[in-house]
Order: sequence, then C-alpha cells, then structure tokens
Amino acid sequence: MEMKKWLATVGAASVLFGSLLAGCSGGEKAEQTNGGGKAEEKVEVTLAGWGGNPTEQKLLKQTLDDFEKKYPNIKVKYEVIADQYMDVIKTRLAGGQGPDVFYLDAFEAPALIETGAIEPLDKYVTDEFDIDDFEKPMLDAFKGKDGKIYGFPKDYSTLALFYNKKMFEEAGVEVPKTWDELREVAKKLTKGKQVYGFGVAPELARLYYIAESKGGKVVTDNKASFADPKVVEALQPIVDMHLKDKSAAQPNEVGATWGGEMFGQGKAAMVIEGNWAIPFLQETFPNLEFGTAEIPTINGKKTTMAYTVAYVMNKDSKKKEAAWKLIEYLTGKEGMKTWTSKGYALPTRKSVAAALGFDKDPLRAPLVAGASYATVWQNGTNLPIITNNFNNQFVSAFLGERPLAEALKEAQKTANSEIESK
Amino acid sequence: MKRMATKRMWREVGTSYLFLSPTLFVLLLFIIGPILFAIFLAFHKVQLLGTTSFEFVGLDNFQRIADDTRAKIALWNTLKYVVIVVPCQTILALVLAATLNAGLKGQKFFRIVYFLPTLTSSAVLTLIFMWMYNQNGLINHVLKAVGLPTYNWIGDPDVALNAIMIMNIWATAPYFMVIYLAALQDVPDSLYEAAELDGASAWQKFWHITVPYLRPVTSFVVVMGLIGTFQLFDQSYIFSGGSGGPNNSTLTVVLLIYQYAFKTLGTMGYAAALAFALAILIFIATLLQRKLSKEESLY
Repeated sequence: MEMKKWLATVGAASVLFGSLLAGCSGGEKAEQTNGGGKAEEKVEVTLAGWGGNPTEQKLLKQTLDDFEKKYPNIKVKYEVIADQYMDVIKTRLAGGQGPDVFYLDAFEAPALIETGAIEPLDKYVTDEFDIDDFEKPMLDAFKGKDGKIYGFPKDYSTLALFYNKKMFEEAGVEVPKTWDELREVAKKLTKGKQVYGFGVAPELARLYYIAESKGGKVVTDNKASFADPKVVEALQPIVDMHLKDKSAAQPNEVGATWGGEMFGQGKAAMVIEGNWAIPFLQETFPNLEFGTAEIPTINGKKTTMAYTVAYVMNKDSKKKEAAWKLIEYLTGKEGMKTWTSKGYALPTRKSVAAALGFDKDPLRAPLVAGASYATVWQNGTNLPIITNNFNNQFVSAFLGERPLAEALKEAQKTANSEIESK
Repeated sequence: MKRMATKRMWREVGTSYLFLSPTLFVLLLFIIGPILFAIFLAFHKVQLLGTTSFEFVGLDNFQRIADDTRAKIALWNTLKYVVIVVPCQTILALVLAATLNAGLKGQKFFRIVYFLPTLTSSAVLTLIFMWMYNQNGLINHVLKAVGLPTYNWIGDPDVALNAIMIMNIWATAPYFMVIYLAALQDVPDSLYEAAELDGASAWQKFWHITVPYLRPVTSFVVVMGLIGTFQLFDQSYIFSGGSGGPNNSTLTVVLLIYQYAFKTLGTMGYAAALAFALAILIFIATLLQRKLSKEESLY
C-alpha cells in the first residue's frame, strides 16, 4: 500500500519534473534566437546546491549578482535541491540532465570523481587564480587519484567545544583543556536526567578524529580497520561517559534532533559542534550565554574535524568555459569574500580569512585555529559504506547493548564484506 | 468470401489495437519496460555515472545476497513486521467493522472518525508520529500519566520497529475496515434470524456466521496486507533518516534496495537483484496464503 503511494508520488513528481525541463529548454531556445543576432551570445549556466538559511541564500544571491555584473553575457540559473541532495544529483547526472556546476561534499567526492562524471579543472586554472592561497588539506580533498584537481573548496567548517557559561559558573568549573578534564567537568555539570554535562553525536563523522587520536586508523587501504584496539581504546571513554558516568547523552535521548538544539534547550552543558551552530544559537536562543573553545587535547595533541564542500563541474556540461568562469569567481578572492563575509562558513583562502579577520572573533577564533590541525572528513571511495556500518554498531555499544570492541569488530566485518563484494 | 472475412477480421483487430494503443504504450513504457530492465540489471554489474557500463555477471548478484549480513537483517525485520502487522490490522479491521455494523447510535460519525487516518499521506503521518514519539512527546507523557514505563521510541533499537508497527496498524486498519463494512452489508439477515431462533449468542453469531461469511474478503485483505507490509519503505525511511538505524533495527528490504540503488555507487545491479528476490518472496507468500484460504473455504 505504502509503496504504491510512494510510486504515485514519484510518478507525479517525474511528470512535473519532465514538464519543468520541457519548460526550461523552451526558454533556452527562445533566448538563443533572441541573442543569435548579436556578436556575444548569452549563455545560461545552471548551478545546483542545497539550500541554506535565509542569510546564506542572500549572500549567495549577492555573489551571483556580482558575477553576472562582471560577466554580462553569462546568466546563472541557481537551483536549490532541498532534500536528498546527492541522490538527486547522481540520478540527474546518470540521466544526462546534470547541472553545469554543483556543490560536492568532500565525503562523497572520491567515489564520484572515480566514476569520471566530473571535469578535471587543472587546464582552466590561470596564475591569477592563485591556487597556493587555498588551505592545503581542503584542496587535497578534491584531488583525484590521478593528482588532478576536480573541485575548488568554497568554504569549510571545523568543530569546537561549545559551553554554557551560566552552567559553568554555577558548577564552579573551568573550561576543560584536555579530554580527561572534560570527563571530570561533565560529571560536575550533570544534573540527573535534566541536564547532561556533554551532548554527543554517536556517529563517525563527529568521532573520527577521536577514534584516530591514539594512533589507530579508521580506514586502511580503502577498507574498514576501526576494530583496531587503539581505536577502541580511544572511543571507550565516550561510551563510558554515557553508561558509567551518566554524564553524556545523545540528542534524541532528550528529545532534540541535533547537538545544537540540545545545547540551546539547556539539556547539555557542552557540545562539540561547528560554526553553523553559532548563528543558529544566536537566532533561536537569543538569551543563551555561550562560549567556544578549541576541542580539548587528547594525548596532549590538538585535534578536530574539518568539513568542506567544493564547486565542481559536470563532465557532460556543454558550457564549460562559462561554467569555469563561474567556479573561478565563486572560489576566487572576490567572490569568496562576499560569500563568507557573515561567518556562516569559513573561507578556504588564507588571504580572505586574513582580510575578514575571523581569527580575532571571540566565538570563531577557536574554529579558525582548528583549520591548521584538522582532519578533513574524507577518506577514499568506501567511506560511505564504512561510516554506515560504524554508526549502526557504535550506537548499540553506546546504548550498552554490547561491548564496544565486539560491536566494532562485527561492524568492520560487515563493512569489509560489503566492500569486497562490490 | 473467405478472404473478405479475414480482411474484415484484421481490420477489426487493427481498430481494437488502435484504441488500445495509448494504454498499451503507457503500460509498455512505464510498467513492462522497467520490469524487464530491472531483470536485465539484476544479472549485470552496473555503473551508471560517468562512463556507463553493463557487465554481465550471471547469478553473482543473487549469490551476494546470501553473504550479505545487512540483507539478512533487513529480511528478518521485514518478516517480523509482516507476521505481526498483517494479523493485527486484519483483526482490528474486522472488529471495527463489526462494531460499526451493529447498529449503534452515531455510527456514521464513528465511521468517518475511524477512516480519517487513512486519508493522511503516510509521510505526513510518520512525521506527526515522530513528533508524538519524541522523548518528551505526547505518547510518553500519556504513558507516564497512567504509570507505565516510557520509551525512547525513535532512538532505541529494541522499540523503533515496534513504534513503526503501531503506527502502521493504526493507519491501515481503517482502510480494510471499510472493505469489511461493505462486505458485511452482504451477509443475509436470514442467517442471523435463524441463529437467533436456535438461541445463539452475539459472540456465536459473530464467530459462526460473520467470520466464515467474510472469508473471501479476509483473504483479499490479507493478500493486500502482505504485499503492503513487505514493501514497507517510507515510514522506516523517514523514521531513521534513510539509514535504517538505530542499529539496523528499522532496516527493511525495500530500504536496503534504495540504499544500494542510490546511496552507494555502482551497486544498481545488486539492488535490482534484491528487488527481484523480494518480488519472488511476495509472490510465494501470496500463493501460500491463497492456497491456505482456499482449503478452508466454505464455497
């Protein structure tokens, strides 16, 4: 029954989509005949991305307007794919209807690059573009096995420790500097089931840097290796905080959907989140007094995660020159400065970061500081499979259903058999 | 003469197919074509993105199902779901229909109230339920108020699938109730009158007249229920954000097919093989059900 409804929805959507496409191509034709007489033909480039909050949308619109002013013969058609972004993009690419330029998360990049659906950009790059200005780890995330660059990172986010100033004052504790301190502080901040000291997201995307902090590797040779005792040792404290200390909880245990919400509602005194949480907290919980700090050191080493997204070009694009101009502008010094000016995301160009002065902003400085030592969330083509299996089993250990070592061992076995039979 | 006749016959056949052609075209393009293509895919290793390639691998995709731990979990979850949901929703539908048919006051009002859940789209329904299932949501508040234990309905692997079952039984039973209601109008009053003369109680009348008389309808309801529950997708998809978590507890076969088809690259062939296997499974389940109900049939 449900499947039928689902099919009907898909059917209706595809019909709508089809008519939409027909509408678009009709429009394009009209434009071509209009501009046919002129020397310079007007080109329309499609740009696809996921939506952001209204302020982000406004910033992007402004950047695109500036671009169109600079290149009057190029028109940008911006499409927002609100939900299931990668599914939609993959389906459209396979159907030959992909956008000319689109967002690509570093996490998904290696697998998509390997299929050959993305245009390498090296041959377009000019000296003026100044590649060396990019933060190297972010740029490397979009290099293929062949060493070519397939995308330029538009921005990045790192993780930092968010803490509730009022709760810290009441409990009379200092902001933790090491992971052991964090565990102690979390105990003091916990008030039964009302307030947890530490809000944690039990998923690999948020735990990767902790997992590797004792020298173990989550991925080796494009295969899962997280059952390594060193990884188990590194992750055990998180599980212990939940089960033994009862000072940590995941958002859905207190009825929140993510860490920022849990923190904002005052159900966690500390969470580890990215810069996206800053505007969210300021807008949704204006009375909340919070501070940020660099993530406590593990084994005396500073560590954090970095998430980055690039603009990439569709290999099948028929307007590659114009598409490159767009990428060049958006990731260039001028465009990036407009786009990152409000601090929703951090600029991947060193010169822009310096010009905007985010390293001096009290809330954002810890995030900017993280860029130099962060682990980029990406590792080979099989990371999606590895992540899926890790998350599934880690939760069961986190909830106390089975020992962590056993859970990870089984997850690793499942992940690797999935990878082998691919 | 004979030639004339064949000519006319051909013309008639031609005209009939001309009138049929729009439907045939739609059927071929949207139903038969995709089915054949899916079967084709099931025997190939498929790469759709970038350089498209189809490599014939024979039965490899089907052999892989046997080694796939997650496929086994998905199958087990789905079977558990079918075995619990189908009887529950059928019995509930029958009971609801029988009470509505008993000639109570305001039965039209209740008929509308009972049927309302069916009108909501299942995606919206799931979202509303997720909100109610929230740790601090309505259901836990009610449970707490009457002194029952509360659950982490969405995050706890032990209860997540049960939460979906409850939701689905509540949402689909009224639909089958309406079918039962229609069938109940058909039961001849004379049977009940005869039973009353013999001194049968209300329960005996229900059990010995209504239930056997409704057997063909029950058979239909069970078959439709089987097909529907085997194809559980959208509820567990929304519930788990597409992952089938927590801890694979809401992973169903269709959700797994979706993951292989769209989430991981290059496994479209394997996804098609899984879909093919599921189709066979539903086919067998339906045949079994038909066989069982036929043997017990009174007609």
